[in-house]
Amino acid sequence: MQEEGFIDYQKVLNNEEHAIKSTQSVIQKAVDWFRSKSMFVLAYGTGCGAIEMPPTFTSRYDIERLGVVGVATPRQADILIVSGYCSYKTLKRVIRSYEQMNEPKYVIALGSCTINGGMYWDSYNTIKKLEDYIPVDMYVNGCMPRPEALIEGFVKLQANIKDAKREAGYIKYRENNEFYKTNQKKIFGDKIEPSYEANFAGMNQ
Amino acid sequence: MIESLKKIYTIEEKSCRLFKMVIPQNEFLRTLNFISSSSNFMTLSQISCTDWIEDEVFALNYILTTEKRDKNLMVELTISRVDSKLPTLLNLFPQAEVMERDLHEMYGIEFIGNPTLYDFALEDWNEIPPLRREFDTLAYVNENFEFRAGREDNRDVKKETKRRRAEAKKLKAKKEAKK
Repeated sequence: MQEEGFIDYQKVLNNEEHAIKSTQSVIQKAVDWFRSKSMFVLAYGTGCGAIEMPPTFTSRYDIERLGVVGVATPRQADILIVSGYCSYKTLKRVIRSYEQMNEPKYVIALGSCTINGGMYWDSYNTIKKLEDYIPVDMYVNGCMPRPEALIEGFVKLQANIKDAKREAGYIKYRENNEFYKTNQKKIFGDKIEPSYEANFAGMNQ
Repeated sequence: MIESLKKIYTIEEKSCRLFKMVIPQNEFLRTLNFISSSSNFMTLSQISCTDWIEDEVFALNYILTTEKRDKNLMVELTISRVDSKLPTLLNLFPQAEVMERDLHEMYGIEFIGNPTLYDFALEDWNEIPPLRREFDTLAYVNENFEFRAGREDNRDVKKETKRRRAEAKKLKAKKEAKK
């Protein structure tokens, strides 16, 4: 598991750490298993990490063998990859795409720029912490992470979805919506677009 | 063709492929018109700008390229930082539109006659143009963004690396002298 380099996917599957917890109902177990096996990724790239995605999805690394497929529109997608630095202008589009996605939805943040700003730590136009604005389910660090690292991120996320050990990001976004909206307003002011998720109250019941 | 230009203007030869000439601001349009029409430096590849805050000027470099892309000519002129206005080059080179728009956004230079001087890469920007040197980037960042914890104990290593590099250079020079 902790070996350097590429992970044996089968080992990850067989590991007890990722076994389905007995607290879940049988149907929920099945649903989570199905979810983890079919992840639709929004074909959207920000920053330099967009370069690492084509080799991940094409024949060399072929992530489709894990059930990860690219789709064209946010409405069909489950996963949003924020690949690299996220500027003011891009973040606006990222939030808009994220809110258009249907639940369940997950965010993978790629590269050190999304974690702490990376080499753009003192840039006037780049955000420093992505998790302040949208919930992040999986961080993949590196500058830039290779496709192997991205695949490892996907495998870990699949395990997280399957055993439901961690609270999913979209639930956080729904429950702590005010926190995220306040942070977004802090940098966008009144320029932010109207929210797609205005009627959360009905969804929580 | 550079030879024919050398007879008219004083041209400094930076390398076999790069030439530079300095012109006053009021002769700017006439000179570029003449060069582009009567020599083989026929296209504009880039406009660069340097902010010399000590001299209170912007130095603008119009980089002209030959048809075969084998020689570059830099035409430099300086304009005041306070009242930074220039006529546009749109009639001469259509590709100048984007370059002038970029310079307008980053330095606040106004190009008279260019109709596209609005938001380009920055969106909703209300501060002074960010590449002007009086703009304090770090203060702006501290005010608008929140850093992740863990950056407090970082140290400024610039001086140390400079010192080490100088030492290494000295050692290398000594070794070469011994040889």
